[in-house]
Amino acid sequence: MARKTPPPDDQGREQPSFSRRSFLKSAGVSAAATTIVGAGERAEAAPSVLGPDAVTLNLKVNGAARAVSVEPRVTLLDALRNELDLTGAKPVCERGGCGACTVLVDGAPIASCLMLAADAEGHEITTVEGIGTPEKMSPLQAAFVEKDALQCGFCTPGFVVAGTALLAKNPRPSLDEIKAGLAGNLCRCGTYGRIFEAVQAASRATRR
Amino acid sequence: MPQEQKPEPTATFKAKAGLPASPQPLEVHPPANDIKPWDVDSIPQFEHMGRPRPRIEAPLKVTGKAKYTYDVKLPGMLHGRMIGASVPAAEILEIDTSKAEALPGVKAVWTTDSRVVRFAGQDVAAVAAVSPDVARDAARLVEVRYKERPFTHELREAMKPDAPRVFNLDRLPAGRDMGRNGNVAGPRTSRANRGDVEKGFAEAEVVHEGTYYCPVHTHAPLETHGVVAAWEGEQLTIYASTQAIFAVREGVAEALGVDRKNVRVICEHMGGGFGSKLGPSATGSAFSVVACRLARQAGAPVKLMLDRHQEHLCTGNAPSALMKVKLGAKKDGTLTAAHFQSWGSAGVAGGAGTSGPAGALHGKNPNFKAEEWDVFTNAGPAAPLRAPGHSQGAFGIESAMDELADKLGIDPIELRKKNEASPVRMAQYDLGAKAIGWERRNKKAGDMSTGAWGASLPPARSKKVRGLGMANGNWYVFASENSNAQVRVHRDGSVEVITGCQDIGTGYRTAMMVVAAEELGIEPGDVTLRLGDTQFPEGPGSGGSVTTNSMAPVVRLAANQARAKILELAAPLVGAKPEELDAAHGKIFLASDASKAKSVTFKQAAAKMSGESIDCLAKRPKQYETYRGDLAGTQFAEVEVDVETGVVRIVKMVSVNDCGLPVNPLTTQNQVLGAMIQGASWALFENRVLDRNVGTMLNPNLEWYKILAPADMFEAESILTPQANLGNNTSTAGIGEPPIVPTLAVIANAVFNAIGARVRELPITPDRVLLALSEAGRA
Repeated sequence: MARKTPPPDDQGREQPSFSRRSFLKSAGVSAAATTIVGAGERAEAAPSVLGPDAVTLNLKVNGAARAVSVEPRVTLLDALRNELDLTGAKPVCERGGCGACTVLVDGAPIASCLMLAADAEGHEITTVEGIGTPEKMSPLQAAFVEKDALQCGFCTPGFVVAGTALLAKNPRPSLDEIKAGLAGNLCRCGTYGRIFEAVQAASRATRR
Repeated sequence: MPQEQKPEPTATFKAKAGLPASPQPLEVHPPANDIKPWDVDSIPQFEHMGRPRPRIEAPLKVTGKAKYTYDVKLPGMLHGRMIGASVPAAEILEIDTSKAEALPGVKAVWTTDSRVVRFAGQDVAAVAAVSPDVARDAARLVEVRYKERPFTHELREAMKPDAPRVFNLDRLPAGRDMGRNGNVAGPRTSRANRGDVEKGFAEAEVVHEGTYYCPVHTHAPLETHGVVAAWEGEQLTIYASTQAIFAVREGVAEALGVDRKNVRVICEHMGGGFGSKLGPSATGSAFSVVACRLARQAGAPVKLMLDRHQEHLCTGNAPSALMKVKLGAKKDGTLTAAHFQSWGSAGVAGGAGTSGPAGALHGKNPNFKAEEWDVFTNAGPAAPLRAPGHSQGAFGIESAMDELADKLGIDPIELRKKNEASPVRMAQYDLGAKAIGWERRNKKAGDMSTGAWGASLPPARSKKVRGLGMANGNWYVFASENSNAQVRVHRDGSVEVITGCQDIGTGYRTAMMVVAAEELGIEPGDVTLRLGDTQFPEGPGSGGSVTTNSMAPVVRLAANQARAKILELAAPLVGAKPEELDAAHGKIFLASDASKAKSVTFKQAAAKMSGESIDCLAKRPKQYETYRGDLAGTQFAEVEVDVETGVVRIVKMVSVNDCGLPVNPLTTQNQVLGAMIQGASWALFENRVLDRNVGTMLNPNLEWYKILAPADMFEAESILTPQANLGNNTSTAGIGEPPIVPTLAVIANAVFNAIGARVRELPITPDRVLLALSEAGRA
């Protein structure tokens, strides 16, 4: 297959040409901004190319060390669901457009369908299962139940995770701030109003 | 030999029907085995019915523990993937799966027998492999050669005489009595047709004619369609994301030629369907059957979930509708005639009618005629979508009514009242008007100085204007008699309600706990629902808003039989006759003794049973003549329109609805609000766009097929008007669909009131608002 040589960068240096594998290696969410400049220099110090066969990844999920063996192309969402049986995060749009697969990565909400499991190594992953259990729900989860902020429930874990991140950052959000904090999540049953009420109720509950 | 049908024996009960504020005595005649229906007098007696109660499965759903079909994982399970046609009209010349089969990890391959493609996304092939990624790789390796044919992608294009034919005339999927012309079949006439419209228009003093258009919407449930299929010998177990487990069993067993007794379908939790999950697979795909075949071929369980792109293409949609409405009225608003014509496209399927609301609303109008045509296009077949055809139809007729009101200079509510035949809706108008602040509306559309906006008037220099609108909706009381329930009381006093009928997220299982507890005199939390499994007694598919209305009466009947047996056991313990006893909150006591001094617990009575359990199985009694056979609703909206950008923002909506006696207002109102919000999404955003050049969908995802999101949310209020409809022994009725019927029209009417220009084509996007302003000379 013919490969085009990339044009030099703005400082006249030759750009590395990316194979799919080396891209996988370096194009994590957190690394994306620095990849282009740093990749050439980092090449020698970088770990060997991953894949295409399954590799062992050491993840930290809901406070526990979890090893998974997956192809490097596997998303964090698929690794959580198919390898670790954490099926709270849902596959819905598979392109970051709906928020149903939201998990916390070092406390920040991200679409786990857009993150490679390999890039989640070294980060603290929290899924909806790590936020509470049916026996011991978080204040926000309890508020979702109380306000009946759900119907089919398929979007609910994503909203709970996004709402948890919002309240951690802003414990007393206004209604507009709640809408902004949950802007990346979709609910097809139309439970938004109840969800806003649940976030407000949890905010009040934790204030006391 | 013809046999004379014996009338079924019936019972006679005197009861109080209707709204509690104005009860009406009514004699009802249910089947002899039925019990006295809950009526107006029951309402103050209820311990659990009608009280808000969080749904029982909510803790599982908010913690990610609820297992949906997509979450099922079986040992050795493979991952299936459907491959759809990439072109909208073609003959399939060859399907080459050799490269896919050669890929390591691929365990089974399926190809279609059909050689004719009529829409992009139609089933062509499928694979099963060891992981979702390998299945995707394999799907890319399947090579299909097509001989492409001309296609037609859109309703108005397909109606043209020279449009490419989707079907040969003799193959059109239309009734034999329907006319056929090119891609058009019809007209179908309505049962609501009455009087003489020509005469009615001759008597009219004012006539309004308008044409209204609604595009195709897709269901877009968040859990895509799919199944997990597992064989154990001849025994087939299917986990299905479905609204109708029994339809899946029937359809799959028939397609595979296996006995139904060997097929078990399970659905514990389901991630949305809205009408698209009522069949064995979907209207435009046979993925369930394919998954079972792949599983048998591979000798391993197969999970086959469609992806988001496929979901938009082949799992159904709501037909588009082009509606021509003509209304005639006297100057005082009395309707003299209505003529409703509708052309709709359900893609390669029929059934795109929209005349339901036009025929049912404004019941005092003596002269009505509806005609409906189905137009075929090279697009995926439609499926019922939440009050099928009714939101579109109400958009047509209720937009036209709003235009007529404007022409007559009459308040839109007064125009509706003038022609209203429903006493329930008559009582609803003022409730809704008060909640929305109807008195503020612009008396002259597009002129806020004619409204009483007070503090909500935007600043003078603002380019934003506000308006209020209203519209009506109708729906029907449907019930399925194939509704069965078993109530089992164990010797330890624990209680199960066992019924196959699935819970699609409406709060159904909690509602049945309430009904059983009310009848048994125990707490709802003491009842466990076993459901969503074809091993249990048959229940209906959850479509047509039938579920609560079908299942509540039979659960109550089975619980009533169990109650009688428990009271018999309790009688000697209390020292009274069974008929002297009553039960509430887990205690059984002398009904005549307010102090309940002599009582035993439900558990003490149950402990006296001879065997392990008391099992009572009941079948739903026939729906009887009701106080009201339809479900009235009316809706209101306040919108703000930026006349510079054309952006519409909904400020507030109010829905007033009848659903008989609500079992659990918390979940009932959730349904109402959800329907209204989904309708608002259709009104402002949703539009399936097929590429006119290649016939494939341009927006098969959730960003470009935009659905209403948190940032678009408005204040939403639900007002229920509980009434004893006496249609069944619980006086319940469905609510999932009725509140979405008026919504499209409500918003369009509110936009008109705000800007003084009419948008007659949905969705009401900024370009259409600016165009309407420009055409009205208001830009």
